[in-house]
This record gives sequence, C-alpha cells and structure tokens, in this order.
Amino acid sequence: MKKWSSILISILFVLLLAACNSSSSTEEKEEKQQETKETTGKVQEPVEIEFWHAMSGNLETALTKITDDFNSQNDSINVKLVNQGGYGDLSQKIMAAAKANTLPTISQAYEDWTTEYIQNNLVADLTPYINDKENGFTEEELNDIVDVFRDANMWDGKYYSMPFNKSTRILFYNKGLLEEANVEPPTTWDELEAAAKKLTGSKDGKNIVGMGFENGVGHELPAWVKQAGGEFIDEKEGKVLFNSPEGIEALSFINSMIQDGTARLAGEDGYMSGPFTRGDVAMYIGSSAGISYVAKDAEGNIEWSAAPIPKGKEAANAFMGTNINIFQSATDEQKTAAWEYIKFLINTENTTYWAKETGYLPVRYSALESEDWKKYIEEVPVYGVGQQQLDSGFFDPRMVGAYGIKNAINKEVELVLLGQKTVEQGLADAEKAAQAELDKVK
Amino acid sequence: MGRPTLKSTFTAFLYLLPALLIITVFTIYPIIKSLLISFYNDYDFFQDIVYERGIDSYIYLWNDPNFHLALKNTFIFVIGVVPCSIILSLLIAILLNTNIKLRALFRTVYFIPFVTSVVAVSIVWRWIFHTEYGVLNYFLGLFGVDPIAWLTDPKWAMPSLIILSIWKGLGYNIIIFLAGLQNINDQYYLAAKIDGASAIKRFFFITVPLLSPTTFFVSVVSIIGSFKVFDEIYALFGGQPGPASSALTVVYYIFEKFYGEWNFGVASAAAYCLFIIIFILTLIQLYIGKRKVTY
Amino acid sequence: MIRDALSKATIYITLSLGGVLMLLPFIWMLLTSFKAGNEVMIMPPVWFPEKFHFENYKEAWEMAPFGRYLFNSITVTVLSTIGELITTILAAYAFSKMNFWGRDVLFAILLGTMMVPGEVLLIPNFVLLSDLGWIDQYEALIIPWTASVFAIFLLRQFFLSVPKDLSYAAKIDGCSDFRFLWTIMVPLAKPALFTIALLKAIGSWNAFLWPLIVTSSKEMRTLPVGLTAFSTEAGTVYELLMAASTMIILPMIILYIILQKYIIQGIAKAGIKG
Repeated sequence: MKKWSSILISILFVLLLAACNSSSSTEEKEEKQQETKETTGKVQEPVEIEFWHAMSGNLETALTKITDDFNSQNDSINVKLVNQGGYGDLSQKIMAAAKANTLPTISQAYEDWTTEYIQNNLVADLTPYINDKENGFTEEELNDIVDVFRDANMWDGKYYSMPFNKSTRILFYNKGLLEEANVEPPTTWDELEAAAKKLTGSKDGKNIVGMGFENGVGHELPAWVKQAGGEFIDEKEGKVLFNSPEGIEALSFINSMIQDGTARLAGEDGYMSGPFTRGDVAMYIGSSAGISYVAKDAEGNIEWSAAPIPKGKEAANAFMGTNINIFQSATDEQKTAAWEYIKFLINTENTTYWAKETGYLPVRYSALESEDWKKYIEEVPVYGVGQQQLDSGFFDPRMVGAYGIKNAINKEVELVLLGQKTVEQGLADAEKAAQAELDKVK
Repeated sequence: MGRPTLKSTFTAFLYLLPALLIITVFTIYPIIKSLLISFYNDYDFFQDIVYERGIDSYIYLWNDPNFHLALKNTFIFVIGVVPCSIILSLLIAILLNTNIKLRALFRTVYFIPFVTSVVAVSIVWRWIFHTEYGVLNYFLGLFGVDPIAWLTDPKWAMPSLIILSIWKGLGYNIIIFLAGLQNINDQYYLAAKIDGASAIKRFFFITVPLLSPTTFFVSVVSIIGSFKVFDEIYALFGGQPGPASSALTVVYYIFEKFYGEWNFGVASAAAYCLFIIIFILTLIQLYIGKRKVTY
Repeated sequence: MIRDALSKATIYITLSLGGVLMLLPFIWMLLTSFKAGNEVMIMPPVWFPEKFHFENYKEAWEMAPFGRYLFNSITVTVLSTIGELITTILAAYAFSKMNFWGRDVLFAILLGTMMVPGEVLLIPNFVLLSDLGWIDQYEALIIPWTASVFAIFLLRQFFLSVPKDLSYAAKIDGCSDFRFLWTIMVPLAKPALFTIALLKAIGSWNAFLWPLIVTSSKEMRTLPVGLTAFSTEAGTVYELLMAASTMIILPMIILYIILQKYIIQGIAKAGIKG
C-alpha cells in the first residue's frame, strides 16, 4: 500500500511542477520575439544567409557550383548551403526550427508546405521584391518563368516563393527489351497495358515484369484521375471529387496490371531505378529528377530511353518539385540578399546549367528556347521529354492539410494495390478519410 | 545510515544535484509538458498560444482506426517477440552455462547484434529479406518454398520485424540469464544428481524456480522495450510503417503525428495512452512477480 | 560416457548453428563490402567476391565526410559516457548509502520516468534546447544524455550489496563520505561501472533519432545519421553501403570484445537482485 501512495504523491508533485513551468515559458518567448524585431542592420555590411535544401549527389554538386559562383561575384553576401537530408527531414527540420526561432533565411519547399507556412505567418511575401523597380523583375522577366511553375507560387495574388527544381513524371523504358519484344514505347493507356503484357515473362532464368510504378503511386492519383477525364479535388469548396467513375477507372487501370503481374511496385527496392537498371522491369513511370540516377546505375547494364507519359482520355501531367521561399524571421538585409541569390539561381544561364546537370526542367522559357539547351537535348534526348508535357501540366493540390490528405489517399491506394481492398471500397474510404482531413482544417 | 535529518538531506541533495538537474530538465519537465499538450484542443504551435483546452485529442484517438491498428500491431509485436526471445535466450544461456569449451566465443557471438547500430544492420536485413535477391528466400528456395515478399506483403511485414527484433535483442537477455544461472549454487544440482534426478527434472525443479527473479526482470525489461519499438521499423521499411501500415506501432503512430502532421495534442495523448498501458502491465507483472517469484 | 559425448555434441551443434545465424548478417555485410558492383544483386547469391575490392572502403569514405562523422561520434560517445558515470556515481551513492527525506518518493518518481517512451520527450526537449541556443552544437548531443535513471538504478543495486560494515569501518577511520565513495566504493564497483559505461557507449554510438533532429549541418552529424544520408545518396550501390555500415559497426564490436568480461560480472552482481 505504501508504494501506491508514494506513486500517487509523485504524480501529483509532477503535475504541480508542470502548472508552474508552462506559464513562465510563454512570457520569455514574447520577450525574445520583441528583441529580434528591434534589431536592424545596414545593407552594406556583409550578410550571411543560410539555404536549407534536400539535394544530394549530383544535385548537390550542381547547386554548390552555382552558389560558389554567386558568392564569388558578391562580396557582401555569403550563401551557406546546408543539406538537411531528404525532403521529409527538411520539412521536419523547418517546422522544428520555426518553433525554435532558428529558421534559415531561405529553404526549398513544396507548395503545400508553403500554404502551411503562410497560414502561420512564417514566410515573406515576395511580391514587393518582384515589383521593386531596381532589383525586381520586369514584366517580361516574370512572364519568362514557365506559367505552370510561376502560378504554383501564387497565393491570393501574392508570390510567396519562386520555382527552383521542377520535375515531372516520364516513362522510362529499356530499349533492348522493347526491341526484342518488338514493342514501341506506348503512347496511350491501352498501348501501355498491351506493352506491359507483352514484356512480362522470363528470360534467361530471370523474371521480367513489364511495367513498374513507384511506391507512392497513390500520390500520383491526381494525374491519373485527370487523365481518365475526371476531377480530383475542388480546392475552393474544399471537397474531394475523385471517388467518381473516372477515379475508379484510373485506379482500376493501375490495379489490374498489378494484380495480373504485368506491373509491380518498387517495393523493397525503394525506387524503381534499382530494378529498372538491373533489367528486372522493362518500363516504369517515375520522376524526371531520377534521370541522373538512372543514367549512373544503367551504365554497363542496360540501354534505355524515356518517353512522355501515355495519354488516357486526356493528357494530364503533374509538375512537382520544390520552390524557394524566404522566411519572415530573417533580417531585412538577409531578405534582400536572399532575393539577389534567388534571382541568380533561376536566371536563364543557371537554370539551364542546373537542368543539364540534374534532369530537372529549366524554369524559364528563355532557357528552354536557348541554343545551349536545344543542342543539349538533341544530344541527350531524355532530358527533353519532360518539357513536351508542359502543355498538359498542372500542379498538385496545395491547400492546408494537403499532407494529411495525400497520406490518407496513399494509404488506401496501397491497400487496394496490395489486394486488401477492392478499388471501389478503397476509393470510398480514401474519399472519406481525405474529406475528414479537409474538414478538420476548415 | 541513521534517521534522515536536515543535514543528511542537504548532503544527499548535493550528491544528487547533477543527476537530478539533468533528469528534471530533460526528462521530467518534457514528460509533464507533453501531458499538458495532450489536453490542448486548439494550439498555435509556432506562437505557443493555447486557444482551447479539453479532451478532444483523446476523443480523436478513441475514434481513430489508425490508432486502434497501431495498438493491435503493438500487442502482436510484443506477443511475438517477448516469449520467443525469453525461451530462446534461456535455452542458449543454459547451453552456454554447461561445461563446454569456446564458451566465451559463443557468448561474444550472441551478444554482437546487441552492440551494433540498428540503422546499419537493418540495411543488410532489408537485403536479406529481399523477395528476389534476398538470401533468406534463396535458402527457403532450396527447400522448395516459394519466394516470400517479406517486406512488401502486409502478412509478412510483422513477422520480418519480429525476426529482426529477436535477433537484435537476444544477446542482452542471454547475458542476464547467464548471470542468473551463475548465481545458482552448484550444490543444488549436485544434490539432485546424487538423488538421481534427470536433466529435465533438474531443469524444471531447480533451474526454473531459482531463476524466476531473473526471468521476471528479463520479461519486464523486454515487454517495456518491445512496446517502445521504433528504430527497427523506421530502418527496416525505409521510413514507412510497413506495407499498408502493417507495422504501424504506437510509437510510430506518435512519430507520424508529431513529425508528419505536427499534431501535438494527438501525439502527446497517444504517448500517454502508451505510458498508461506500460504502467498497468508493469503493475500486473509486479503483482504476479510478488506472488510467484521465489526469491 | 557415450551419452555424455553425444549430449556435448548436440550442445556444440546447437550453439554453433545459432551462432552462425547470429553472425550471418555480419558475414554477408563484410563479404559484400569487398564485392564488385556486378556481384551484388544476383541470383543465386555469390558469397565470396572474386577479388577483394578494398577500394570500396576508400570510395565510401570519400563519398561522404565520414572522417568528420567519426570524430563527432567519438566526441559525443566519450563525453556523454564520462558525464553519465560522474552523475550516476554520485546519485547512486546518495540513494544507497544515505538516508534523507523524500528518498523513496524521489526514487519512485525516477523509476516511473523509465516507463515513458523516449519519443514523447523529443519535441519539448528540442524546443528547450533551441531556447538555450544549443541546436546544432555538441551540447545538444551530449548534455541531455549525461544522466540515466537506469544507470543510477543499476549502480544503486550494486552499492546496496556492499556490506555496511565497510562504511562503518571507513567512518571510524575518519574517512569522509566523499573520499569513501571515490577511494573504496568506486573501485569496488568497477564491473558495474564498466557495464554502465559500455551500455552507454553503445547507446550513444548508435543513437539515431535524436542526433538527426538536433543537428542541422553536415559538420555536426554522427555516424548513423551520416549513414542514412549516405544511403539515400548511394542508392542501390550496396557494396559501398555495406562498406560504410561495416565501418560504423566495427568499433563497437571491438570495444565489446575488449571489455566483455566486465559486463558479465557487472550484470551478475547488479542487474538481477533488484
């Protein structure tokens, strides 16, 4: 008995302590914030800004090169690159840093992250910087940014970020296997299905699957539904629309291929680039940002190329990748310096260089039309595939709570593809879960 | 030692100061803070302003099928790991405790997984479990077993996780059992041997009862440890809670709510549910332990 | 005699089989780390590389700043272990050899904290550390880990087993508490302290989630965090991944092999009697 009472007492003690602690910490916070507001510096003085990113491998090398160029051209500005691991890590670090008041000056961010940042007043409105007579963009320069990329950065008529590394999904295919089976790269859903069937089989004791999808194929659902002629979500009304005949058609299309074994998911390989470059999979749909990885791994293993995504009833292609935003917590000089850097990073020359090194798309029309780029995609045609899809481009839903919605949908799609639910059941449950997430933040 | 006095209390607290300071600041305070957060209904995490307090988070958990799934999976995991690990480690410890050569070598070998980084070993385990190129399926294939999708089939994800966890934790339990076995006086065995008791009888009538305090300790530690499983899942399934959430455990659920959705209230509430479950189980064990364990 | 030999043989075979199962992942890791790229993902698996490619290690080492990661891991491990030993010795002594008001309640509270999953503490701790300005500093990686309830519990049990007569004798000789602790108790408790130190070192060396969260620059990362970053970079280049993993695992195995006799003693004397 004595033990129990002592435990009870200790719990009470602990609770008491808590009550005292919580009130004092908020006060301290407020003081701190005021302090930071008061500090103002001078523009001429050297400024250091931090750029948090999630680029690794070739991507990081290319980014470092551009940044070094910038630093050597600007005596007073020093941009420090900080690699935060993957996008998931980056997002977590940003949120944690926002809480702790240790945000960097600029960072990469997906559109739905920015929506959340805007809600919490974390990011600076870039419109004044764009409109600035001396340091901003002219009308021409602004419209030089590819429409679908530019518009994805506008919220309620204001720009909160600028496009940086933009990609789209393309169809990678194994030249050797397609030629052997006498199959042309498919251009429609029907052709894709037929090609997958024809390419599946075993060769030299090795099982080959015709078609491959990345693990998060659920995240691609918006594009598939649109290709089937349906609508995914009504962002304004906050209503999900994908549980429709078109939605069912889209998911059934993927599911039937998976179920009859003519398609597979990346599964334990993490990304399709692994099985694809081993020659285990004849074709797959994946991000154009993976081109440099595929190229590296394919060397000496397979001959490959890429084509635009096959069309359904319509052509629809999601453009993904991140933008760069400036955090509100930075000083005015840092913000100005950051704007200079962003302008440099996505100028025609650098966005072309970036695209050539990484497989991302140049974000400016002037870059896409430049001789340099045109010559390059002639040499390496796979890099030119993504831009053929620009006309049918759109960007993924980016409303508040998008993370939860995407996860909920992806989970249900996964259940369907693993054969745990029917397509109809899965979509209905996904609709319910996504709608619940939407309603939660309303 | 004598009775406590003001002076002895003061001196004692001087000794305790460094440890207490660290533990209070980095363990006790966060525990309380999390408890408070679990009662925030509406919370601006960036500004640290609470608009409304209440039990919404707990209601959310009550209705959230994912949380129920996480609870179910956690229990399956504990039931899968703990008894298996205890039986295996006891068996190995008994074998190691016999008069054999190379004992030190064997002991070292069994303990090695315990000292290694989960992150590092899970990379090799992911490959061992690989459907097409995994060594495990290769061996099973020699016996005519069809390839199993260890990591991508929801049916097999949990068994894979259990295998990895048992493998990883076996060494620690073995060491404790070995220590317990060495505490048993040889004279009992000698006496029993003279009386003609068989090895099996000696095991059940001497080893098991005399080892019960150790078994008790091991089971408490294993159960608590297993309830908190996280790193293994994160590393084995590449930052996913298994295919179709088949390896979603309570701590993973907490992690997702915390770092994925920044839903502090729900995450903290879930953490407290886990805490209460562990607490109750420990009390039950203490109670049974008091009655059954022969000291 | 034959029966004896037979049962001996069974024991050896069982233990060897189990041992092989325990070691197999490591053997596989080690052998793969020397393979050429085309010997890795093939069926049936190739056990031994045709030629030992030691350059895999060099290549992996150069692909990421493992030297820096190693330095960080060593610094963090050594300092947090020393810190924990000091706080633990002092606290365990107070809990075992002194009588003071609130002792049992305090001890119960501390034991209670052991049941709380560590993940619960992450966010409040992160915020606290950033208020202190410790994020991305060694302080954040070390200081929160310089005290452990489990270690205090373990050492307290050990101290309790030291006969009271000893401290009476020392007191009569005019030995102060503090001197008594450091000159008599600590040397006596060497096995328990080695156990605590080793468990701490293992935990600290292998810690993943915490260093991932409190470090933001590459310069501050520890080995496991560096390895995960590397594994996204290296992708499916398993021979390099295995080389990097081997580099991380090896120091702990060596440390354990050197100190293992203390662990057994330590746990035997302190771990179970509680």
